[in-house]
Amino acid sequence: MEAEASPFESSELVASLLASTPLLSESWRLCSVANAAAPLGFVSERIGDVGYFAFSACSIQMITEESEYYSTCRNLVPLDSAGAGDGDRPFSVLTKSSNSSINGEEDEGAVMVHAGLLNLFLFLRSSQAFKDQMSALINGSKSIVITGHSIGGTTASLCALWLLCYLQSVSSTLSVLCITFGSPLLGNESLSRAILRERWGGNFCHVVSKYDIMPRLLFAPLESCTRQLHFLLQYWQMSMLASSPGNFGQYFPVLQLGEEEKAHLFSFISHHNLLVSSVAQAEAREEKANILYWPFGNYMFCSQEGAICLENAASVIEMMHLMFMTGNPSCCIDDHLKYGHYVGKISSQFLNKKSFLQGEVIPESSYEAGVALALQSSGISKQEPAARPAEDCLKKASGMRHMRTPSLNAANLAIRLSKVVPYRAQIEWYMASCDKSDEQLGYYDSFKQRGSSKRDHKVNMNRLLLAGFWNDVLRMLENNELPHDFHKRSKWVNTSQFYKLLVEPLDIAEYYRSGMHRTKGHYLKHGRERRFEIFDRWWRERKVGPEENTSMRSKFAGLTQDSCFWAKVEEATEWLAHVRSESDARKLALLWENINNFERYATRLVDCKEVSKDVLAKNSSYSKWVEDLRELKSQMQQIHPQFPRFRDGA
Amino acid sequence: MDSETLGKKIGISEELIKKSYTLSLENQVSNELFHVDKSSSDAVFIVFPGSWTVKEWFSGDQAFGETKINSKDWSKKAFPSMRSIGNDDVAIVNQAFLERFELVLKDSKDSKDSKFLEEVTLAMNGNKPIIFTGHSSGGAVAVLATIWFLEKYSKSNTGTAKCVTFGSPLVGDYIVSHALKREKWSKYFIHFVMRYDIVPRILLAPLSSIQQELEHVLHYFTANGHHYPLESIAPDFYTNVMRNTSALASHAACKLMGNTNLLLETLTNFTKLSPYRPFGTYIFCTGNGKLVHLDNPEAVLQLLFFSCQLSHENEMEATARSCINAHLDYKTELLGRSLEENVVYVDRLEELPLASDGSALDDLGLSTRGRLCLRAAGELEKQKQRNRQQIDRKKAEMEEGMKGLEEYKTFNAQKVGYYDAFKKQNEKRDFDANVRRLVLAGIWDEIIEMLKRYDLPDEFEGDDSWINLGTEFRRLVEPLDIANYYRHAKNEDTGAYMTKGRPRRYRYPQRWLEKKEGRERDTCGESCFWAEVEELLKLASNGGKVDEARAKELQEGVAKWIKDGVAGKDVLLGDSTFLKLWEELGRLKLQQECIGALMTNFTQLSIS
Repeated sequence: MEAEASPFESSELVASLLASTPLLSESWRLCSVANAAAPLGFVSERIGDVGYFAFSACSIQMITEESEYYSTCRNLVPLDSAGAGDGDRPFSVLTKSSNSSINGEEDEGAVMVHAGLLNLFLFLRSSQAFKDQMSALINGSKSIVITGHSIGGTTASLCALWLLCYLQSVSSTLSVLCITFGSPLLGNESLSRAILRERWGGNFCHVVSKYDIMPRLLFAPLESCTRQLHFLLQYWQMSMLASSPGNFGQYFPVLQLGEEEKAHLFSFISHHNLLVSSVAQAEAREEKANILYWPFGNYMFCSQEGAICLENAASVIEMMHLMFMTGNPSCCIDDHLKYGHYVGKISSQFLNKKSFLQGEVIPESSYEAGVALALQSSGISKQEPAARPAEDCLKKASGMRHMRTPSLNAANLAIRLSKVVPYRAQIEWYMASCDKSDEQLGYYDSFKQRGSSKRDHKVNMNRLLLAGFWNDVLRMLENNELPHDFHKRSKWVNTSQFYKLLVEPLDIAEYYRSGMHRTKGHYLKHGRERRFEIFDRWWRERKVGPEENTSMRSKFAGLTQDSCFWAKVEEATEWLAHVRSESDARKLALLWENINNFERYATRLVDCKEVSKDVLAKNSSYSKWVEDLRELKSQMQQIHPQFPRFRDGA
Repeated sequence: MDSETLGKKIGISEELIKKSYTLSLENQVSNELFHVDKSSSDAVFIVFPGSWTVKEWFSGDQAFGETKINSKDWSKKAFPSMRSIGNDDVAIVNQAFLERFELVLKDSKDSKDSKFLEEVTLAMNGNKPIIFTGHSSGGAVAVLATIWFLEKYSKSNTGTAKCVTFGSPLVGDYIVSHALKREKWSKYFIHFVMRYDIVPRILLAPLSSIQQELEHVLHYFTANGHHYPLESIAPDFYTNVMRNTSALASHAACKLMGNTNLLLETLTNFTKLSPYRPFGTYIFCTGNGKLVHLDNPEAVLQLLFFSCQLSHENEMEATARSCINAHLDYKTELLGRSLEENVVYVDRLEELPLASDGSALDDLGLSTRGRLCLRAAGELEKQKQRNRQQIDRKKAEMEEGMKGLEEYKTFNAQKVGYYDAFKKQNEKRDFDANVRRLVLAGIWDEIIEMLKRYDLPDEFEGDDSWINLGTEFRRLVEPLDIANYYRHAKNEDTGAYMTKGRPRRYRYPQRWLEKKEGRERDTCGESCFWAEVEELLKLASNGGKVDEARAKELQEGVAKWIKDGVAGKDVLLGDSTFLKLWEELGRLKLQQECIGALMTNFTQLSIS
């Protein structure tokens, strides 16, 4: 292997980049305004090209009696249950079920979010004021920051998710950034994975102060301490209103928890954070499934000493725990109200030098030194017991990506690609030889009915090797091991499309050859590998020049342009078989409708020469189907003279 | 850090540096566009005075006052090399400085040559090197003048030039730096910067964030003796410039360190970062007589940020003021003492000590964080060299593959023809050739990907051995790509080969050759004539109208390439696609004599 660049730790630099922009301070300013203007629930403002939309922390009473909210504290509901009916599925992109994940693991489970918080967002979304302000902001800005403090933070996250789903559905290029301050957790691990899969992790930055108890609450089963929570939330909300500019100086009677209760709450949450943190680091998935709530996106941890940004969810959980355990019962409550202070502090820190404290030994390796500096910024001092585990946590968080740079990964992948390309060429060669063969089965059926010759075996091997290669590519992409624009690089978009067109017919053939459709159901609904769906999307979203070639083809395409063509043929073959035995008139009508639709689709494809010539080979499944259909129709006409009624789909 | 003499290391003697500074100082404020000094026997000095209004620093409507260097007709001609070749990214420079240089270049008493051009010619006739120099924005104009000079005269070896600036603002973007390195011109630029001088950092902030203060500060610079109070504006000015410098430096450092956090990309959609980057050699003056020499542009950018940070919050007011005063303070650093003895060369950045070590870097106030970023800059440059070595090692494999294709070509030269044999894909050897093509394409695609991300050393696209290999590869393999393209009728999936299907692995090497030979764009397309043959054939056989000029150009090209041996005679074989076109052209009465002559020749040859 090549000698590689020595790694660096840069979680602190990401934080200092963010802190050098006006985004944090502007967001916080607007959050304060929103908190003070609680009745409205949100405020919006435009600064230059950037639109800001802030949700209030004090709007939970709007939809529910408090007691009701607490009793359903940790209830999760599926995200796709959201919507106002009539096809309104605001989060459809995220909840789209997938047959199997890239890693070959089984279904990841439904994407779930906190019931009360989801209701709150859906309630706010339904108001006219929300619609007006949001559409004004979308139309007038080049980019949008969605922000919120405390419970406003989760609303902001949901709003950002909704907006990202919406923008993707209309192919908009508007940028969205969600910045939350001390937000509670929102959803389960599936949510976190779905966000990773959509590559939206970079659109979320959750600012969490060192001791703040709020972001850590939902790691614990809260049923036993609803009374304390009730006080706590009231105390926070009152304090926010009291400290907001408009209410300055006014007296608010504030309910406070007793010292003993604070201490109890602190140790209770502390304990559960430790539990969750140790489970989160485990390899086994079953154990992780016990953790109800799971972070997503970036976490910006801030302390008096500085800030660091982490994006790996397991490391975020551990860091939450480690920082929290250095605190105490009263600061963990007050820290939730001190984001203004933290934002001010980290926004001016860029002016100051960042060095080791006097007398500290500086490690020689760049990586160790970087980790030590990041630890310093996290506000955990070397002497504290949390220091060692925190250092390991930082290393683990960065280790996943920094031991090898993404560009290098991409370069190595290019080398691997050039090694598998000959496999692809052999499949092409095989395809051409099928066209020439006397059996005239065509590419698809030759492979489906292949014998045990060395050549047949080899083609199948090549198919599997290519699948393995592309699965690796997608796995690396999902784990952020590849450059962010990898899936937009034309080399990969084109190669993956070509791969799909060439090899998916073989995958379909194998599926039906091995009878999988009888156990699992048809390929299109139940058997299609996710990689092909992803490649479909890459191809759809690629940059295309203004003048698309629309002229007619002069000869058949090299490869059938719909890679699922054969799967459709298989289904149509089944319909045709059923038609002969079906007696129920309603079902029969449906079958005929399907058959007619397929016939129209296939004829159009053939007429436009969008298929490769093997489709029309004399003994191909498609040719047989066409023949069968013709025969059936003539039979039917002999038996039932009224038959044309069906045929025309009436 | 070693101790070569200054003159040897940067190619200019201490005496000339001092003279440059004295002249720059004398001409700091002047009504002239430039001043020529011939009093030295070793060089002619062309000195540019500074300009002191905001609109002479920021013009146009862009946030950072930037513009593409080819945005005007004259500048397009004057700076043909200021781009990346394969990627074809054009350099960005400061519009106000470019406009100022335009005045210099076009200033003339009568309609004859400009005064500036005359002086340059005169100096060259006297066989003396020219030193372009200036303080503040005068330095920026000196930089543009030097690039102009190098573009115009470096090929003909008729003269030499140096550029020496003092406290110059940044002038251009990363592409300028990249192009200067590729052309091996970087070494001609020497920038002196005082540790605290704010001016080299000013253009890292958008005008909107500093406009009011900048006006005030520029006034202050010109009002020697008459002091405006700085207290009211200095802290804001310093903070705003540094805030933007911090954002840019942090972003650059994240990239240097290979951070993949998607948040970085999101953030760049929310805050625009300055396009300007340093280039050439930088010599930082620490303020206590020591000089620090660096020539890694990424490291210089980091240093511009880290050397200006505070040790304590209470230093703020004082530092903010000295950041402005330092711009007028080069004299004590440069004239009072020997430069030679005090200069420290910082190389092997990746091994820089992380703790303060009593070296001059301490005097620049470099923190551990800063040292880490400098290390990362060094590491990246090393990585680029490693990438280069890695692909250099592939040369053997590529030559092997190309040899195989050469044999295949020779084999087919007498029969079906190279192009058509491959297009028909009848034999096992055609298949083998296809695998060879794919393997070679894989290697080249990898190189192109690296170039796209600027992951190879800047010099790569100027390297003759790679330009030659690229040309050879292009001429040998591109016909096969075209054959494959039309064999699979991909023109009907995506469009004509030339406009829609031509891979970068052929576009890039063609641009390299065109640049090397100083030719116009799209003039070295000999490797892709088959695509034109196919397109014309398609038009002709579908009964479409074949453009006469197009047919003529193709035939003349093919005739020339066959004569030059760039294309093989097998083009004219009986069954070839070209011959089919030839027949169609005959039908349309568009045949050219040049091909006819070759044809007769060829038939006679084959008979005899």
